[in-house]
Amino acid sequence: MSPPLKIHVDGVTKTYHARRTVQALLRIDLKIIEGQFVCLLGPSGCGKSTLLRMIGGLDHPSGGEIVINARSARAVPTATVFQSYNVFPWKTILGNVRFGLEMHGASRREADVTARKWLARMGLTDFADAYPPSLSGGMLQRVAIARALAVEPEILLMDEPFAALDAQHRRIMQEELLALWQEDRRTVVFVTHSLEEAVLLGDRIVVMSARPGRVLREFDVPFDRPRRAEIRTDPRFAALEGEIWDLLKSEVDRAPEGEAA
Amino acid sequence: MSEPSGITLRIVPGPAERDPAAHARRIRIEERLLSIATPAVFLLVWEIAGQTGLLPSRFFPPPSRIALSAWAMARSGELQADLIASILRILAGFALGVATGICAGLALGLSRRAHAAFDPFLSALYTVPKLALLPLLLLIFGLGELPNVLLVGMTVFFLVWITCMEAVMTIPNAYREAARSFGAGRWQMFAHVIWPAMLPQLFVAMRLSIGTAVLVIVGIEFVQADVGIGHRIWHSWSLFQAERMYVGICAVALLGYVFATIVRGIARIAVPWAKLRHGRSG
Ligand SMILES: Nc1ncnc2c1ncn2[C@@H]1O[C@H](COP(=O)(O)OP(=O)(O)O)[C@@H](O)[C@H]1O
Ligand SMILES: [Mg+2]
Repeated sequence: MSPPLKIHVDGVTKTYHARRTVQALLRIDLKIIEGQFVCLLGPSGCGKSTLLRMIGGLDHPSGGEIVINARSARAVPTATVFQSYNVFPWKTILGNVRFGLEMHGASRREADVTARKWLARMGLTDFADAYPPSLSGGMLQRVAIARALAVEPEILLMDEPFAALDAQHRRIMQEELLALWQEDRRTVVFVTHSLEEAVLLGDRIVVMSARPGRVLREFDVPFDRPRRAEIRTDPRFAALEGEIWDLLKSEVDRAPEGEAA
Repeated sequence: MSEPSGITLRIVPGPAERDPAAHARRIRIEERLLSIATPAVFLLVWEIAGQTGLLPSRFFPPPSRIALSAWAMARSGELQADLIASILRILAGFALGVATGICAGLALGLSRRAHAAFDPFLSALYTVPKLALLPLLLLIFGLGELPNVLLVGMTVFFLVWITCMEAVMTIPNAYREAARSFGAGRWQMFAHVIWPAMLPQLFVAMRLSIGTAVLVIVGIEFVQADVGIGHRIWHSWSLFQAERMYVGICAVALLGYVFATIVRGIARIAVPWAKLRHGRSG
């Protein structure tokens, strides 16, 4: 028996009516099964964040529908890690990680215990009582990931979570995420503009077109799980990266100028 | 290019590097001494100039005579009565202004409708100098304490209202979105995002407006009071008692300083994350 369908994006279209009308997404179809790690790739401005926000329930589609199959009514369907470090500066690190738990009705004591467990797991125990402004970017993104994972969401949504990190930190965080995910294999939708990141982390890579965003093609990543960072040197790694880049580069050229991600 | 002239430059540790702790301590002591020395020298020069008749003591009585006068006023209980009267008016007006200012700032910052309805109206009122309204308030409410408290309250209200409204409206959307993504409801959004995000600016507004409140109360007491520091200054002028006038002026200055320091102290406890914003300490 194949794993159940977790997310079904069915003909989703999104049009923004701001000062000018922007067609962000055009009839997106996407089926994501439970436990799959899906990477979304595409030129900037093609609607990746828009799609992710709609899956996370932060925005509504203009047409079509998104169906999420939650296991139970009590489960937390989604949690999101955003690109910017929107860790709350007025809460301590512990307070930030506790936040999601408290929002979902955990008592302060329960939340405290769970939050501390996640701080330990992310190597943040020493910073529990510190405030975010005293932490580095890499540390803050760790806090954001801990905050999202602490609520044990059925689906983890990540929007270019490592884009603002320097190259060394990005690599470390990729490898940590790989290890973390392989422990419990929850469903992940991961937006990135790094081909390497997509191939390293994803089971499946969905490449989107320039705006209006459509699904251009999908790739299956041939590496087994559990995966190790050493696959970067595998010749198939470079080959897949090259294949995706050939497809993507014409789209990047087509992307409108001056587009903010 | 000239020939090497035979001079060797040596870049070596200076005093600050050889003993950083002692260096830092020396700088701290030096700054502390300077901050005390400047007013001390000023008072000393004033005293000497006054004693030798270089300054006309009718207008500039030497500090020693001002101090004696303050002592006499304190002995008779007059100074305390004035201080308490002024402090109570300031506190009552300040509390009124801060409470209403926060409510208005939140309402107009959070509700599109409230903003559309009241922002132009309040903005227009803001430009009216509040002291100009005193006669009107006296006409309506008579000679009691109410007009005084209302006027201080109005002054404080506008500063707090504008600051809070701007603070709420400029909260980065990313924070609200993060809260929403964890399912925060309206009340939770307020308690966990809006209020703490607004708090640092609220304290800035409170520091600014406590100074203005002191200013306004002195203005009011000049014309409308029979007790209070402002009244004391004005009354001393009409009796040509320069020493007592100086006592009043010093008391007002001290009052403003003490209030501002208290607000800063509370802010330090209530907004522990804000001090980290500028520069990280190791
Ligand atoms: N709230 C909004 N209002 C108007 N236009 C928007 C809004 N959000 C995104 N857009 C537009 O939709 C398009 C897709 O944006 P986005 O999903 O952020 O792209 P990506 O994440 O792929 O870079 C962009 O052209 C962007 O300008
Ligand atoms: Mg984006």
